Amino acid sequence: MPVQKMLVVDVNKCTGCRMCEMACSLFHEGVCSPSLSRIRVYERHAGVEEITIPVVCMHCTDPPCVAVCPMGGMKEDEDTGTGVCADVCIGCRLCFMACPVGAISFAPPPNVKPLKCDLCGGDPQCVKFCQTQALVYVPVMQAHRLRAKKLLDHYVSRRGETPEDEGAAAYEVKV
Amino acid sequence: MKYGWTGRRLVVDLPSRTWSVEQLSDELLRTYIGGRGLNSRTLYDRVKPGTDPLGPDNVLIFGVGPVNGTLVPGSSRVTVTALSPLTLIGDGAPCFGDSNVGGFTGPEIKFAGYDQILFLGQADSPVYLWIDDDRVEIRDAQHLWGLDTWKTDETIRRELGDEEIKTACIGPAGETQARLACIMFNRHRAAGKAGMGAVMGSKKLKAIAVRGTGGVPVARPDELLQVVEEAVKTLYEDPSALAWSRYGTPSLLRPHQAHGRLATLNYQRTQFDNWEKITADALAEQYWTATKACFGCPLHCAHWFVVGSGPYASYGEGPEYVCTGGFGSKCGNDDLSAILYCHSLCNKLGLDEQNTGSVLAWAMECYQRGLLTEKDTDLKLNWGNTEAMAELIQRIALRSDDLGTLLAEGAYRAAQAIGQGSERFLIHVKAQDPALSDGRVAKAWGLAYAVASRGGDHLRALPTGETYFTPEEAEEMFGSAEAVHPDGVKGKGRLVKWSEEHRAVADSLEVCKFVVRTSLMPPEWVAQFLNAVTGLDYSGDDMLKIGERIVNLERAFNVRQGLTRKDDTLPERFLKEPVPDGPARGRVMDLEPMLDEYYEARGWELQTGYPMRRTLEELDLGDIADEVEAMGRLGDLHIATSDKD
Repeated sequence: MPVQKMLVVDVNKCTGCRMCEMACSLFHEGVCSPSLSRIRVYERHAGVEEITIPVVCMHCTDPPCVAVCPMGGMKEDEDTGTGVCADVCIGCRLCFMACPVGAISFAPPPNVKPLKCDLCGGDPQCVKFCQTQALVYVPVMQAHRLRAKKLLDHYVSRRGETPEDEGAAAYEVKV
Repeated sequence: MKYGWTGRRLVVDLPSRTWSVEQLSDELLRTYIGGRGLNSRTLYDRVKPGTDPLGPDNVLIFGVGPVNGTLVPGSSRVTVTALSPLTLIGDGAPCFGDSNVGGFTGPEIKFAGYDQILFLGQADSPVYLWIDDDRVEIRDAQHLWGLDTWKTDETIRRELGDEEIKTACIGPAGETQARLACIMFNRHRAAGKAGMGAVMGSKKLKAIAVRGTGGVPVARPDELLQVVEEAVKTLYEDPSALAWSRYGTPSLLRPHQAHGRLATLNYQRTQFDNWEKITADALAEQYWTATKACFGCPLHCAHWFVVGSGPYASYGEGPEYVCTGGFGSKCGNDDLSAILYCHSLCNKLGLDEQNTGSVLAWAMECYQRGLLTEKDTDLKLNWGNTEAMAELIQRIALRSDDLGTLLAEGAYRAAQAIGQGSERFLIHVKAQDPALSDGRVAKAWGLAYAVASRGGDHLRALPTGETYFTPEEAEEMFGSAEAVHPDGVKGKGRLVKWSEEHRAVADSLEVCKFVVRTSLMPPEWVAQFLNAVTGLDYSGDDMLKIGERIVNLERAFNVRQGLTRKDDTLPERFLKEPVPDGPARGRVMDLEPMLDEYYEARGWELQTGYPMRRTLEELDLGDIADEVEAMGRLGDLHIATSDKD
């Protein structure tokens, strides 16, 4: 089944607060712990800036993690279309190796198990607690509109209007 | 206890370079919650009168709370507690000291499995503490001594080989035991109040490095998810939350100017002519490049700034209003890039900006009045001389000349040395600078400064209710609608009492007071957070009672050190000098009637400010009542009530 909605990450909007990590681990494990979160936020120094980057499963349409699991434990969920890890893991870490974006991590020993985003069954908690919309979960076509916002704003501002079309109010036909 | 708390205290004995882990009893945790409350009890039990704050018998305590490192909004805070080397009470005895800080180190301490870290004694050469979950090491820090806070942080993370390590360290100012020294957490967040950096320096403890891979088990996960979702929604219904999330504390400068309470030229005025050059808007337009947050904070009030060129090129996180006002209006400076440069200097050198801004402004007024001249210093300390300000900050941190060495002792001790009436325009309470709200104009804030347990400070009470509550609410909660009237007197004492208790609870859970404040989240909200995490069943009233217990405990500590009513006062300028111009023209602070009401509401003796036995016993502090009674410092019931009305 094709993915209906997609998770979009906007690094420029991330404040680095880690509420996503807390919500994720709390929802899945009943424990607040970055080490048990399916989404991780990492900090990097970039020249005179310090940026924080959320790393989370991008939900491939043809996920290598599903393909490589020798136990057949990683399965595609019908509702969300993403790989969901069943409890048959032997800890071989092939999924960790296969993931092209490095979005699968492992719980700290001794409870070695893969931590992979399952979109919370369709209502991702990280998105719910992200105050700046650095993380959104939207229908695919809306995602494109969001992603293209910069370009759209650019053309709107070139016409001398505000992005929200406030200038049009004067011409509005009152009915 | 199974949830929230770790129940573990890490005790580090610096002289022997050994450590141990102690269990904290359930009763102790339930009674004081954690963070500030638990630290205050530890300090009371460990530090007796006569202790030298920079000597081996002082302790240094880092405390986190039960909700630290959870989804609870703003659960990033840490309280650092010690007998303060900066503040003074009674006949010159040091006062209670602590400092509260955000960032990411607090939750990391929790994830490593500790509620409190207690440092005893002094090391014979520089060391740093490395906590790697259960593995603890006291490592040599000879190679770090002399490094600034940013280089220290970077060096430690590199040599231990883990980018995820969180640090707290002192800079050169802490090493020279400047009484204005702070402790920097993860490069950008300062535990600034009360000279905690100097205590750390006296212990030759350069840094703490923490890596925790554990987590905080939550008793009722679904409930916590739901409570926090509602809390965040409520938070953002408050219009001030929007301003806060966009502009942070620098947004306070504009209303301070508008209401005539902006500290200007060392409080000679409450209006700054060029205020528009140093507002949050100016920062946003010229220097801010990104929005930043502490751990777990939906409000994200911090920013990243870059000054890309010029003599004041710099970058980092910040600034706060304490900085834009403190190095701006208070010093007559309207150069925003210089403000950011001074901010960077303080962060790297490990100086508290509040108290540093205060000594600069006071020294500049000395210069204005000819009490400091070219004979005393080669620096021309004219108002707004940014070059001299930046130079002096470095001399203070390094104690590299006579004036720097003098000012490193704090403005109060410097004024004692210089004399000639300079103490009359010194802005301090118990030898520490209060915040940048003029205490003549914002009356509840003035009263809060006077009674704060760690000396001049606005965050003990943070009485924002003075402007937020309606007259009807004030009547019901504080017995008088005057409590929220700018010129009111009645009800202010009770407003400050309530606020102090609410803030003490936030400090003990270790959630940010800005989160609790902005939406005016009542104590019931705070109890809901705590209950969902710990599985216990506190009510809003229980929360306030615990807050009251903490305030009284800290009071008793100060009474034991020698505090009396005469210490609960304000700078002469606030009490005697009317505001010269602006919207608040003519205002002075009539403190005594408010203080009377506050003492009465607190159950403290009017003449001395000593708590009464009944007050302490009702808060389960009977053992403390016995101790202060033996010293002859227990309040007397018969002179505890006013006969005025």
